Amino acid sequence: MNNKTRIVFFLVLFFQVALAQEKMDIVFAHLNLTFRDKPLELNKEYVSENKDTLQLTGFKFYISNLKLEYADKTTYSEPDSYYLIDIENPNSCKIPIKKTTSKTISKVSFSVGIDSLTSVSGALEGDLDPTKGMYWAWQSGYINMKLEGRSSSCKTRKNEFQFHIGGYMKPNYAMRKVVLEPKKSNSTVEINVDVAALFSQLELSKINSVMVPGTKAMQIADYSVTMFKTK
Amino acid sequence: MKIKLKHILLLGITISLAFAINKTTPLYLETPKAWPKPHYDFSKNPLTEEGFQLGRNLFYDPILSRDSTISCASCHLQSTGFTHVDHSLSHGIEGKIGTRNSMTLMNLAWSKSFMWDGGVNHLDVQPLNPITSPVEMGETLNHVVSKLQKTEKYPLLFEKAFGDPKITGQRLLKALSQFELQLVSSNSKYDKVMRKETTFTEQEQNGYKLFKTNCASCHNEPLFTSEKFENNGLAIDTTLNDIGRMKITNKQEDYLRFKVPTLRNVQFTFPYMHDGRFKTLTEVVKHYNSLGNNKRLPKQLAKPMKLSDNERVDLVAFLKTLTDTEFLFDKRFSFPKE
Repeated sequence: MNNKTRIVFFLVLFFQVALAQEKMDIVFAHLNLTFRDKPLELNKEYVSENKDTLQLTGFKFYISNLKLEYADKTTYSEPDSYYLIDIENPNSCKIPIKKTTSKTISKVSFSVGIDSLTSVSGALEGDLDPTKGMYWAWQSGYINMKLEGRSSSCKTRKNEFQFHIGGYMKPNYAMRKVVLEPKKSNSTVEINVDVAALFSQLELSKINSVMVPGTKAMQIADYSVTMFKTK
Repeated sequence: MKIKLKHILLLGITISLAFAINKTTPLYLETPKAWPKPHYDFSKNPLTEEGFQLGRNLFYDPILSRDSTISCASCHLQSTGFTHVDHSLSHGIEGKIGTRNSMTLMNLAWSKSFMWDGGVNHLDVQPLNPITSPVEMGETLNHVVSKLQKTEKYPLLFEKAFGDPKITGQRLLKALSQFELQLVSSNSKYDKVMRKETTFTEQEQNGYKLFKTNCASCHNEPLFTSEKFENNGLAIDTTLNDIGRMKITNKQEDYLRFKVPTLRNVQFTFPYMHDGRFKTLTEVVKHYNSLGNNKRLPKQLAKPMKLSDNERVDLVAFLKTLTDTEFLFDKRFSFPKE
């Protein structure tokens, strides 16, 4: 082998390894949006535990600071990572996890919503760009979760309900931490987001429009935590 | 062969370097002598001439509004301290009227909160208000971005400012901030007196003395605002029922509290107050002169001013020394002519 062929050989080897690495390293955390055990669809009629007949017209929320804990107590974390999950954009329900291993995951934690510091940091990019429609104008701060739809229980214009849940200042700091411990030993992350769990705690005839930070938003933020489950 | 390879490599490196180096001209915002440090974090939005010029173009462009009739400058005119002269309440698209008097735009790098109720926590996100308000521009940021993408001019201006022609909400907002941050007014007669370049007249000097005893506890020098929210004794306008800061905080003590505005260039920023109810400075001074013994008022206003007619005239004479003509007519801040 002369020098030239040796170099070519190593280069080919290097790129192959690099490519293989790339393939191995990206796995996804999947968020499955559901109503009970069925995939959630917009404009489809559902009946909640409280006997509210309802249809959703929009559902978006932020997941931030994802952290995985493995059985051997090592961790994977993504500080300052923010993902806008939007039912209308199926790709957004897959969160890329870089450099994962095949180790069994013992704990998954993340926040629903955006932290205080990020909420006072001006114009940001990517999923945090205010063009995403998740930033309030008249009172600064991110909307952590938008849940909109119609229900005959709502005596409102066009029977509409709107929940824009947010608030970054105490005592109305609406970001919530979720910690899940998968029962099945698994090296992938499958998170179910069951909207029915939230609606089971709400009576749409009584509460159907929350669009400012405050005690009601805090209450719904608490309810929203119960949507997240792992298998 | 060897030399050729070297050359190609060198050429490659040069080309990639040329692309990597963003040819922008940095700008620096100087803090005037004896002023506090600016509040704005410039490290997150480094000022450049190109960013400033982009922001200036956006500021004067009605494309930001739904029907392309209203620009930022519609309600923020340079010659009147970037506020809406002669309009107690400003009008937006389709002649719709808002509920508050437009604020002045100057020395914004030193501001911690924005709007009369302080609901906005950062200069970058302030423009979301006028852009999305149905009585102002009636637009969405997303739609403004897509309109700008379709123009010939803006992808070029964004490329100059940010290195590539991509238009995003973040870039648009940061560019607007770059323009607004440069709006520094620090060359009034008052400033020149403080720098010992000139002197007050006797009347102005007397007015300054009165100002320091009666007004300066809220309109703190040198920015002429405490940045706080106060109830200044105005009765609520029942056609508007504006509760002020309480709308943001939900706290009873913030009922009828509004941001203490700067008094720089106050001679030209009429009408005055959050709802523009006073047309002249004389009316403003008379209002404060008539206050007193109201438990809701802050301690600074607890005692009536009781100024004589002559003293009131002197106070107004001092307020006029806050006029900064260089700022009001600075061509760098005016409509960008091609």
